Amino acid sequence: MSTFSFRTRPKASEEKSLAISHLGKAITVNGVLDTDGELRIHGHVQGRVNAERIVIAQGGSVEGDVVATDALIEGRLNGRVFALNVTLESSAEITGRVFHNTITVARGARIDARMPWRPPSYFETLDQLPETRE
Amino acid sequence: MTMFNRNDKPADTNAPDTTRVQTPTPAPEPVRPQPVSQPMTSAARPSSPGVSVISRALKITGQLESTEDIRIDGEVDGDVRGVSVTVGNGAKVKGTVYGDAVELAGTVDGKIEAKKVVLTGTARMTGDVVHQDIKIESGAYIDGHLKPEFGKSDGKSRTAPKPVEVKQPV
Repeated sequence: MSTFSFRTRPKASEEKSLAISHLGKAITVNGVLDTDGELRIHGHVQGRVNAERIVIAQGGSVEGDVVATDALIEGRLNGRVFALNVTLESSAEITGRVFHNTITVARGARIDARMPWRPPSYFETLDQLPETRE
Repeated sequence: MTMFNRNDKPADTNAPDTTRVQTPTPAPEPVRPQPVSQPMTSAARPSSPGVSVISRALKITGQLESTEDIRIDGEVDGDVRGVSVTVGNGAKVKGTVYGDAVELAGTVDGKIEAKKVVLTGTARMTGDVVHQDIKIESGAYIDGHLKPEFGKSDGKSRTAPKPVEVKQPV
């Protein structure tokens, strides 16, 4: 678990300047969330999320599609992820699909999903999400 | 595949937020070892996990509902419901803001329904304010009616406290 050299572009410094949005555990959001910063979800989101970086924290859940450059999932997700870099922690529970370029899955993560690999160029043209929902 | 039978993860799912800090899982992501006190700096102020912060960069189209506090610095197109709702300077809400306490320093185009309302000098309010207790600072822009009817009207008011007299001294 110590080999987290999964970034495909130098963002470490850039990341620090991302505006962080935080959804507390008592919140429920229905709709579309759009940010070029970071979004941390401890609560529940139903809908679509677009973010540079998304963190679904333990106890948090998302139902819907997530589009991000980096996705760190410690909570639940039912839907699709389109992210260049995906990290699924051991507490993650995923149902759906995970489109990724690089992925890390921790032991213990519950995954009931297809996890298709895609080239980086695929993620640059995600204005229109493909219809893959089953 | 027996996907739901094998569950090796520690039984710590009861306290989702606090356990994030000291979760026994082998390695939280090294980039952000601590959820709250990490070095990332941004417009979002440090906050406890319970409080929700909609940063400047975030736009939400839809409903927000929380039983805790919400701070909005970004844009919300839809209704917001919280206990203490703060709409920061530069923030924009198009819809109704419900809460026990609402502080507005940004823009609301819609309605405010709260027991306690504060319109700061940078507030821009287009629409009615239903309140029980209001403070308006010099510079606030209001285009709408102020109705001291919070808790009295239809079932819309979520908290619906006992009918209280109109103007309550602060």
